Amino acid sequence: MRADRVRGHLDGLLMAVLEQGPLHGYAIITAVQQRSGGVLDLRTGTIYPALNKLERLGLLTSSWESVGERRRRSYRLTDAGRRSLAEERTAWREFTMAIGSVLNPGAQPRSAI
Amino acid sequence: MSAHGRQTGPAEAHPLEAHPLEAEADPVEKHIADLTAVLHGPARAKARMIEEIRDGLTETVAAHIRGGSTPTRAADDAVREFGTPEELAPGCQRELTIAQARHTAWAVALTAPLLAACWYLASSTAPGQDGPVPRAAQLFATQLATAVGAIALLAALALAVTGTLARRLPTPPRLPLAIAWAGTTAGVAMGVATLTLTVASLLATDWPLVALAGAFAAVSHAVVAPSARACRRCARLARAL
Repeated sequence: MRADRVRGHLDGLLMAVLEQGPLHGYAIITAVQQRSGGVLDLRTGTIYPALNKLERLGLLTSSWESVGERRRRSYRLTDAGRRSLAEERTAWREFTMAIGSVLNPGAQPRSAI
Repeated sequence: MSAHGRQTGPAEAHPLEAHPLEAEADPVEKHIADLTAVLHGPARAKARMIEEIRDGLTETVAAHIRGGSTPTRAADDAVREFGTPEELAPGCQRELTIAQARHTAWAVALTAPLLAACWYLASSTAPGQDGPVPRAAQLFATQLATAVGAIALLAALALAVTGTLARRLPTPPRLPLAIAWAGTTAGVAMGVATLTLTVASLLATDWPLVALAGAFAAVSHAVVAPSARACRRCARLARAL
């Protein structure tokens, strides 16, 4: 899937992989890759400014943790982030249902009939 | 994301430590140096962003080496997956520009009300001033303080718009530039207030308080003016990238 299609959903993807618990940047990249089956074509470096933005909005918190002589930043979803993720999921379901109803008129979901 | 299925492992077992690349030939170091050169913003925010990107690149290289790549090939692949500095810079600079705009807005929002209060204290404790220069200076500085106060309110609004309100409202793309020029105006007003209060302190009977207000105006100017200048630069850069 092309990068420009993914970009609009990056915030939701990042929050979704942080739902289970705190992760650092590289682990977030790996989690998105694994969940998507490697289909998403995304420049992985773009997640860092996106994580900064989500933290500025209060949807994530972060803290430094030491790993040997190195240190790395770990991100955690806030309560506001969980609410925002739930809204993202609802909006995505409504969107895919609407598009699916148009593209596949014969296979309309029961709720849309 | 093309590296699906890479192994992840403990960060301390860094394979590059066993197979170090020459610094000048290391694509990761070149990538970091190029990105560092092109980005501008608050020093701490920029250093944090660069450190995180370096850490992510290092971990990606390590994962490729664990998967059987040579160090050189692993570094090239990691850089390609991460995106070139040209691909990453716009997003990074956008965040750094907002960080700089918030820094400038905080500087204005915190110093302007104190400056106004300081001036009010200086003028209210010298009610007997009836000489022409101190009186004119009082009126002039009062107008400056009013202007700076209005800018402080704008700065506070900008902090809200770029903070939690941004969850619901899109951040106007020109907001950082607007904050930059508001901060520049506040910095000029603070500089003029410094001169005005310094002259007034030479003529006022209760000069220590007026001189103290002038000193505070000078400190405010020294804090706000460089921050506004940096904000103008970041805003221009964010639009150019």
